[in-house]
Amino acid sequence: MTMRGRSFYALVLSGTAAVWNAAAEQRFPPPEFESGHQLPVTTVPPPRALWQEYADVAVLLLCLGLACYFVYRRRSRRSVLWLSIFSLIYFGFYRKGCICPIGAPQNIALGFFDPAYAVPLVVAVFFIAPLLVALFAGRTFCAGVCPHGALQDLLLIKPVKVPTWLETGLSVLPYIYLGTGVFFAAAGSAFVICRYDPFVPFFRLSGGLTMLTVGAGFIVVSMFVGRPYCRFLCPYGALLRLASLVSKWRVRITPDFCTKCRLCEESCPFGAIREPVPPPTNPMELAPDRRRLGLFLIALPALIAVFALIGNRVAAPAALVHPTVALAERYLDPAKPPPPKVPTPDSLALERADHDPASVLSEAARIKRRFSRAGWWFGGWVGLVIGVRLISLTSRPVRTDYEPDRGACFACGRCFMFCPNERVRLGLLSPSELPGTEPARTDTAPVASGDTGKPKTAT
Amino acid sequence: MADQEKTSAPVTRRDFLRQGSRVAALTGLGGFAGLLVSKLKSETLVWQIDPAKCLRCGRCATECVLKPSAVKCVHAFALCGYCELCTGYFVPEPNELNTAAENQLCPVSAIKRRWIEDPYYEYTIDETLCIGCGKCVEGCHRFGNGSLFLQVRHNLCLNCNECSIARACPGDAFRRVPVSQPYLLKTSYSHG
Amino acid sequence: MSSSASAENQTGNQPSAPCPFYLAWRTSAIASAVFCAVVALAILVRDFASQKEDPLNAPTLAALKQQLITSPNDESLKQKIRELDLRVRRDYFTVLRFKQTGAWLLVIGMAVFLYSARKAARLRETPPIPGPASDPTESHLRAAAHARHVAIAAMALFAIASLGLAIPHRSRVPATEAEIEKLLAGGASTETNAAPLPTPAEAAANWPRFLGPTGNAFATNVSIPDAIDPTNKVGVCWRTPVGLFGYSSPVVWGDRVFLTSGDETNRYVLCYDANSGELLWQRLVRDLPGSPQKQPEIPAGTGFAAPSPATDGQRVYAIFGNGDLAAFKFDGTLAWGKNMGVPDNPYGHAQSLLVWRDRLIVPIDQSEAEKNRSKLFMLEGATGKVVWEKTRPVPSSWATPVLIEAGGLTQIITLGGSWVISYNAADGSELWRAECLSGEITPSPIFAADLVFAISPNDKIIAIRPDGRGDVTKTHLAWSYDENIPDIPSPVSNGAFVFVVSTPGVVTCLDAKTGAKAWDHDFELEVNATPAIAKDKIIMAGKKGRVVILQAGAEFKELARFDLGEEIFASPALVADRIYLRTAVALYCIGAPKPNAQATP
Repeated sequence: MTMRGRSFYALVLSGTAAVWNAAAEQRFPPPEFESGHQLPVTTVPPPRALWQEYADVAVLLLCLGLACYFVYRRRSRRSVLWLSIFSLIYFGFYRKGCICPIGAPQNIALGFFDPAYAVPLVVAVFFIAPLLVALFAGRTFCAGVCPHGALQDLLLIKPVKVPTWLETGLSVLPYIYLGTGVFFAAAGSAFVICRYDPFVPFFRLSGGLTMLTVGAGFIVVSMFVGRPYCRFLCPYGALLRLASLVSKWRVRITPDFCTKCRLCEESCPFGAIREPVPPPTNPMELAPDRRRLGLFLIALPALIAVFALIGNRVAAPAALVHPTVALAERYLDPAKPPPPKVPTPDSLALERADHDPASVLSEAARIKRRFSRAGWWFGGWVGLVIGVRLISLTSRPVRTDYEPDRGACFACGRCFMFCPNERVRLGLLSPSELPGTEPARTDTAPVASGDTGKPKTAT
Repeated sequence: MADQEKTSAPVTRRDFLRQGSRVAALTGLGGFAGLLVSKLKSETLVWQIDPAKCLRCGRCATECVLKPSAVKCVHAFALCGYCELCTGYFVPEPNELNTAAENQLCPVSAIKRRWIEDPYYEYTIDETLCIGCGKCVEGCHRFGNGSLFLQVRHNLCLNCNECSIARACPGDAFRRVPVSQPYLLKTSYSHG
Repeated sequence: MSSSASAENQTGNQPSAPCPFYLAWRTSAIASAVFCAVVALAILVRDFASQKEDPLNAPTLAALKQQLITSPNDESLKQKIRELDLRVRRDYFTVLRFKQTGAWLLVIGMAVFLYSARKAARLRETPPIPGPASDPTESHLRAAAHARHVAIAAMALFAIASLGLAIPHRSRVPATEAEIEKLLAGGASTETNAAPLPTPAEAAANWPRFLGPTGNAFATNVSIPDAIDPTNKVGVCWRTPVGLFGYSSPVVWGDRVFLTSGDETNRYVLCYDANSGELLWQRLVRDLPGSPQKQPEIPAGTGFAAPSPATDGQRVYAIFGNGDLAAFKFDGTLAWGKNMGVPDNPYGHAQSLLVWRDRLIVPIDQSEAEKNRSKLFMLEGATGKVVWEKTRPVPSSWATPVLIEAGGLTQIITLGGSWVISYNAADGSELWRAECLSGEITPSPIFAADLVFAISPNDKIIAIRPDGRGDVTKTHLAWSYDENIPDIPSPVSNGAFVFVVSTPGVVTCLDAKTGAKAWDHDFELEVNATPAIAKDKIIMAGKKGRVVILQAGAEFKELARFDLGEEIFASPALVADRIYLRTAVALYCIGAPKPNAQATP
């Protein structure tokens, strides 16, 4: 029997026997045991139960509620910090960072554009709940619930100030990244935001060397630049930023009124605090900005059109991200290598295409058409984002108080304790020790003098 | 622009605009959620390998974010021929039909071979050792009944949003399945 | 710190005396940072060290196992394998555990570092001193201007990067379904442009079909070595075992030899290197569009792989007893494949394929004549699309047609039932027919000296002039001869003589023009395989493996004889001074070893 088996092997293995794929085939009849041997059962360890997924949703909602409470009612940085540590442990290390809203826009996009994919309820809630909260209370999700934010927040040791202009200019990046993520998800079912997430390999404590290197890079940068991912890349942060621009409540540095003592000016490591800007004394000052506004408004449609065209062009190489398109291209490549002796995964894929080129090619063509259509929208979106950014830069803000920028503020609560009024509220300082005597609420005069106060502070 | 207004006006006007936008955003989000309802599924989805499409290329062992991979070999005992010369267990041209290292195909010795009765042997997978390389699956598929096949083990799988093995799978064998039916087990021969 | 107002005023912000806690936290931070670095380094080093040999990639182990195959009884070698195997596996899992532990140590170290560093930083923290305030309006304007530049730069960068990706990109995937269909239909048309059709001279120098380029089994430019002695490996270039049996004959193009093999379960096309005998690839032919779920019952005497393949220099075509027809490119990829319908043939389908220009001729004679199921197909070689098909009024037959140039046309001469029928290769129209056959037609027709020769099994050989139209039975028969007529082997011809080998082994040499017998000789050798003529020598292979070489001329002369000891059913292929001879279990390459050829295994 042994010999027969061996020669059989030798025959079939004497060359590169490329056997086309087929399911189980009965070559040897299953035995009938005389000893009455019972067949073992194939085990099927279950995935996480549904109730556990809903428990995650409950934890999310609870954390969102707590974050709002800590930021708005308690005004306690310490509580927010502890909440974010909890979130880091729960959503980060326990749930391995793989239940988070950052990648959720992709699932939603795929759900809308791929009829075969249904969005799981949990993902939908994770996508909508923080946005809904942001419409009322700003980015409290970023402050206390997001594990990515918590990790970067904890890593921050010595913040370096990023110039406001750079930050404002680069704030288009998250929108472009969001567009990219949605584009790939809708057109090619690829989740690039998840694929290139820098922190998830750390939550898992494993990952490819490239991703670990990128992640390590982000970690080192996070020690000196506050929340680099949140500020310059996070696609969900881009959505939250939009929502918090129109939020009902906002984080205020001072519990009651601003004395313009300027103590909080440098307190925000994320560069979100804006100084008061008086309304222009001379309307003619605004003339250049108005000209620009007019120009940009006229140019906006052109910008969108040009970028839509670029997006459509770039869709063709982008489609290679999809394995089927890549396979079809390799299959049609006249210079493809001959099949190797020992089949490799790539040669197996080519063999699959060889076996049924019609379905691979038509699938690839279908995906390419989808990419091409989505490319128009993606390009248009990029044009729109940059155009709107340019337009928004022409408007001059009018601020009377030191206040956090609605979009940029992560609601982390760091600035609270820098406000002397807050210290008074907490009873750490007596009102008489306050710098400046008069509340400056309705004051419209520019506070430009450097002599506003040499504050006395307690450590 | 706001600057045309006088001192206190900009604030109220901006607040009004903001409130309007918020209501608009809320309505939009509500409408979006309403649209989404038709695309919803109460069940979460998990990744699984369709054994009929699997090409046994070995990428499950190398591409998974977990080390060792969450993909393991499983055995459909009902389809197994209980062969003495199991081509999933033994290397081609085995020296002897015993459990010595030089005769085993499995690189981590994760298959246990047990004598049942003449001439039948039972092969079981030790999943704590299995790395999901699919070498045995290839052997069993090519020369045997194909009763060994690869499956994502859900007690290990992190259920990444984008499975990195799925992306690299040359057979396009990975797909999302509802969590209530998380396995695609082989239960019958396709023909014959 | 609140006390030292003077210190606050200084820009350096140095505390007057370092706080002891500060030093402690700083030391702790540095220590934990060093710890993290050491752990990370250890993981990297361990990882790197383990990459040499892991269970999935163990070159030493694989080499040892290979060694064991050559020396299967080496106990010390086995022991070595076992030890190495255990070490590799143990290392693999140890490293995994090591990495996992290391990762957690890193996380803990990191946490300690962060805590200490923050504490230390806190202790060195000074309250903010607002510097001289700039004009808010001016700073806003400046920031807005800079931000505008950044946004515009980002825009330009995005546009350049996108165009940089898009412009060099060339996609080959067509955009629409229609284009895909066109690509799949004429997909190889682009390819044929790249590699032009082989010239007739090239085809003549190869052995592209059953019985060679002319169908006469005649090669003008092949010489057979004088001394052949397979037992002493004299005159044998190589011998490669062919494990999968088939009755079909080899075809050769360039340095590739193609065979077909198979049985009810698996049917293969095999490609061998003509220089070394090495198997280059073998492809399973199954699950083609239309392939039957259940294979037909075919007697073992014919089997599933009786028809020989054919090649046009770009693709090799093969048909099997179940009607599966497949075209493979020379690299082994499937160009196309389909089922031609399961032939209804009591002995199994055995008609070989022919290639004409860029087209493939597929004869399928089956069933009874009355059922009109026999057909002749002309397919596009690149795609397998039917160019024309012709229903033939004949029952099952086993003779392969021959392509001839006569009367200014390319004719396809077919045998079947009682008819010899000629078709116009261009459009499939019938040119002429002659009723002169009977029985189960197996020997194939040949063409020499402007005559078509057809064998009516065990009956007679008939010569027909192929320049008529319509029924030429009464008008165009040149001559016939009726002694020692075979029922399986086909006649062969070198142009001057026609050699007929009967199944019991009688060779008759006839003058091609007149049909006059030049000589005959009984070799007492059962012959199934059609012989072949190399220049002036006939090589004839008996069923039991005895091979006779005799002179192809007006006088009988036996030149050599040797015994392969293996059954032979296949006709030899003659290319470039080599004879490729398929036995039941092996493929032989006979000929004088070329100086640059490798030593035979």
